[in-house]
Amino acid sequence: MKKKNENITRKEAIKKIGSYGKYTALTAIGTYLLLNPKTAQARSPIAPGGGF
Amino acid sequence: MGELVVKKIEAKNIVWFKNSNSYLVLEPIVTKILLKINKKVSLEEIETWVIKKVDAPKNVIKKFIVDIYSLYSENNRVTKEALLDTSNYKVPTKFFSKKQYSIKNRIFFFQFENEYLESKIHLIFAHLEVKNQTKFHFNYQVFENKNLILFVKNKKLIGRWKKEQAHVFQGKISMQLLIDCYKKPEEDWMGVFHASAVSNGKESLLFLGDSGSGKSTSLALLNANGFDCIADDFVPIDNNQDAYTYPAAISIKKKSVPTLLPFYPELDKIAEHHLKELHKIVRYLPPRNINYDLKLKCKALIFIKYNPEVEMEIKPISKIDAFQQLIPDSWISPIEKNATVFLEWFLELPSYQLTYSNNSKMIETVSKIFKDEL
Repeated sequence: MKKKNENITRKEAIKKIGSYGKYTALTAIGTYLLLNPKTAQARSPIAPGGGF
Repeated sequence: MGELVVKKIEAKNIVWFKNSNSYLVLEPIVTKILLKINKKVSLEEIETWVIKKVDAPKNVIKKFIVDIYSLYSENNRVTKEALLDTSNYKVPTKFFSKKQYSIKNRIFFFQFENEYLESKIHLIFAHLEVKNQTKFHFNYQVFENKNLILFVKNKKLIGRWKKEQAHVFQGKISMQLLIDCYKKPEEDWMGVFHASAVSNGKESLLFLGDSGSGKSTSLALLNANGFDCIADDFVPIDNNQDAYTYPAAISIKKKSVPTLLPFYPELDKIAEHHLKELHKIVRYLPPRNINYDLKLKCKALIFIKYNPEVEMEIKPISKIDAFQQLIPDSWISPIEKNATVFLEWFLELPSYQLTYSNNSKMIETVSKIFKDEL
């Protein structure tokens, strides 16, 4: 469950500045990653692990 | 004008916004536009510049630039942390338990109001417990008030957390222990990484990965095969880019016990703990030979993954991929000088994906990495 959430988090990091119709090159240039570190030094979060 | 730090990463740029502590990975042209916006260059001047670079009608380019203005504003907004509520609380007169831990020759005197709170902290530090100390250096009191967990250190309230945020409370205890153990204030630390770390006595390696990927098990295997354990789950690196030892026990999940028993026969006698909220059964393995004097530069970042179908495979991964995996799982100091140090540190480090199921081959590969023989 956690791994699925982590993959979703990574996909959510991909953002677009805007959409520019047929000017797809601009849309592509406007794709970026937004990443935020943790605001506090947490230990392993509450979630089931993979069991290894 | 906001404070930005810009670095090159492969064919793109990283832009760090101080006000929101956000890291953006952007195309170079977008970066240049952001920098012009930050310098308060006029929209008309920016348009003129972009028109020379991009083949698109003026109105489309204008929309593009206006959208980048929005991006700039959103990320340049100061995100203020909620002020600590220091309103009335009462330190209990009676505590369920008290524990004394010796960490780097300093005595930490902990008082836990109840068994639940004790279980959140004691298990990973139990191997450091000492008894009957007449003096202590630090007093950590942990208790509940109005359904919140409170942490008071040397009579000063450090924080309050909801129980769902217990892992953040644990992190705060860990950070305060770190600060007190090494007498280094928070602003001297570059970051704390959700990783495990080993050393060969000269350099360190960080193992990163999702929960359950094998970081702790790999650490225990390496610690039993000639490598020093620097830390499990909480790897502190200071703003001199040195990884420090953190003496917490290694959390070993039930499924890893058969793998580790040949190296740690004592695991058989170590008690299991059922962490109900996490649906995990773990044992806490004390690290072998805790050495607080180690302050080691990092050689590489290893994104590790146990996979029963792969014997041993290691390949470099792109810095952008590594960055994308690293940031959300890390605390990185929001101070500009430290964020700059962090970016310089990260950009110098090689990153690898290591997938394995053969323990000896994994250990051999780690050895090769340390010896530059990959």
